[in-house]
Amino acid sequence: MEQKKENKNSPIARRKFLRVLGTAVAGGSILAVSGVLASRLKNEKEASYYWQIDPQKCTHCGRCETDCVLQVSAVKCFHANKVCGYCDLCGGYFRSNAKELNTAAENLMCPTGAIQRKFVEDPYFEYTIDESLCNGCGKCVKGCSSFGNGSLYLQIKRDLCTDCNECKIARVCPSDAITRVSMDTAYKLKD
Amino acid sequence: MAQNRFPKPDFESGYKYPEIHHAIPNEELLVAIDIFLLVALMGIVSWAVIKKRTRGPILWVSVISVAYFGFFRKGCVCSIGSVQNVALALTDNTYALPLSVLLFFILPVLFAFLFGRVFCAGVCPFGALQELVNIKNYKLPKALTTVLGMMPWFYLIFALLYAVTRSSFIICRFDPFIGIFRLGGDIGMITCGVILLIMAMFTGRPFCRFFCPYGALLSIFSSVSIWKIKLTDKPCINCELCHNACPVDAIRPPYANKAKESRLRGVKRLLNYFVLLPLLILCGAFLMRSVSSELSRANKEVRLYDMVMQHEANPGDVLSLELEAFYGQGDSIEGLTQRYEKVQADFKLYTTIAGALMGLVVAITLIGLSVKRTRKQYEIDHAACVGCARCFSYCPQYKIGNESGNIAL
Repeated sequence: MEQKKENKNSPIARRKFLRVLGTAVAGGSILAVSGVLASRLKNEKEASYYWQIDPQKCTHCGRCETDCVLQVSAVKCFHANKVCGYCDLCGGYFRSNAKELNTAAENLMCPTGAIQRKFVEDPYFEYTIDESLCNGCGKCVKGCSSFGNGSLYLQIKRDLCTDCNECKIARVCPSDAITRVSMDTAYKLKD
Repeated sequence: MAQNRFPKPDFESGYKYPEIHHAIPNEELLVAIDIFLLVALMGIVSWAVIKKRTRGPILWVSVISVAYFGFFRKGCVCSIGSVQNVALALTDNTYALPLSVLLFFILPVLFAFLFGRVFCAGVCPFGALQELVNIKNYKLPKALTTVLGMMPWFYLIFALLYAVTRSSFIICRFDPFIGIFRLGGDIGMITCGVILLIMAMFTGRPFCRFFCPYGALLSIFSSVSIWKIKLTDKPCINCELCHNACPVDAIRPPYANKAKESRLRGVKRLLNYFVLLPLLILCGAFLMRSVSSELSRANKEVRLYDMVMQHEANPGDVLSLELEAFYGQGDSIEGLTQRYEKVQADFKLYTTIAGALMGLVVAITLIGLSVKRTRKQYEIDHAACVGCARCFSYCPQYKIGNESGNIAL
């Protein structure tokens, strides 16, 4: 009762007390939250930074091309030469209904002509991807995994990706193939 | 997944597999620069606002921040979005929180606790951009700012709700300025950003005041900060100039009992609001809980579950890409149902909490409007003040003290 009276008589003291209390609570909560969060950092090696595609899960649906926040998607086609069969009739290079096996655009799978083909020796051909042309549509990946060894696959290029907090492609990926990976395994390579 | 239909070729011409190197930028270095700049710029702003009381350095900091955090780093990682990562890390211990995100979250909070919202002043590229385009400060009516002032809290609550249920990071998704910094992106959001910037030319920082969820969080800490911004050491002469100059209505005028209301009536109304407080909380919790299944549609698992159920009902339909992937990967419906039920249970719990918090926000706003103040002179509201330092050059008392030593009126 006495204290109540005193408080009533001195609103300044009361306000000061409340302010000190508030400061203490706020300071304490900062310490507590950072303490809890710091304990979550323990396995820093596993901490995940980058978005990356798991080629085993990818269904090459084509949304990588259209849904990235960049004008030209950060997703590019990678080629695992050590998996490739070096076939003449390549399911990733030629369309399945190609009339002739030549470099005419209507026979080629890639809409931007990003796959280059080079004769190695009979009957083998080497295929390389020109990343500056690739738009990540995944048509060749579909062809290669349907008819070939599956050596063509999609990956997010680290130097192009803007590392959005929420990857826009991951949100629409039908097979949840895009997840965060750690800093020391920035790519999920096939070879 | 078809693999190795064709054997590895045996090359006879001595062909060697080409060496392909995929670029990995030195992100660790960039992150280190980010953190260093964040601390350095906040330090400069704190010094300029608390010690030096001048605006010049803050404008320079704003320019650096817009250039580096905005256009060079393209707005990610940002403190505003980090709220979601932190909330997810706090509720879900399988989520690995990167150290940089933790620092980006906690450092501005710490600075707010020490020196007020110095992060907002010019270190945040969003605030800095709005600050730099501002040319005129038209005051908005108090009724409007009060109602809109609740929006950041609602936005924060919704962002946390969707973050902890692993549904979506809505702060990142509906970010109005990122498209401007990236010079491209979702056209709708860029339009919103441009509209906000045009508004920011004529009234102070509309995004910070009426949308920014992180600013709402910082305002709690800045209102109890240890070192506070002080306009002048000399007595206030109630000239009103600082109040007119403030872009965010953070300088409150002396309290005038315009309504000529009797004290008893005021106290009664306040008491009514305190009775209303638990009712509003309950109401909010109940309302949000009742729409929890609608809100859960934002979650991918829930959408997939709905699609699968629909497909199971009429199997004749053409498979969508999602369903193709679901059946193609041999996922079991039982597993999906389990995940679906988990998400639904999470949503039930978290929407209830979110609703209660929303009720609390409304109640506290109502109470804040009815509390009688005893201000005799112009005072800074430290929760709202973003430390832009405009007011200093307007205060005649401060000017006199600064220019000719010790003349006192």
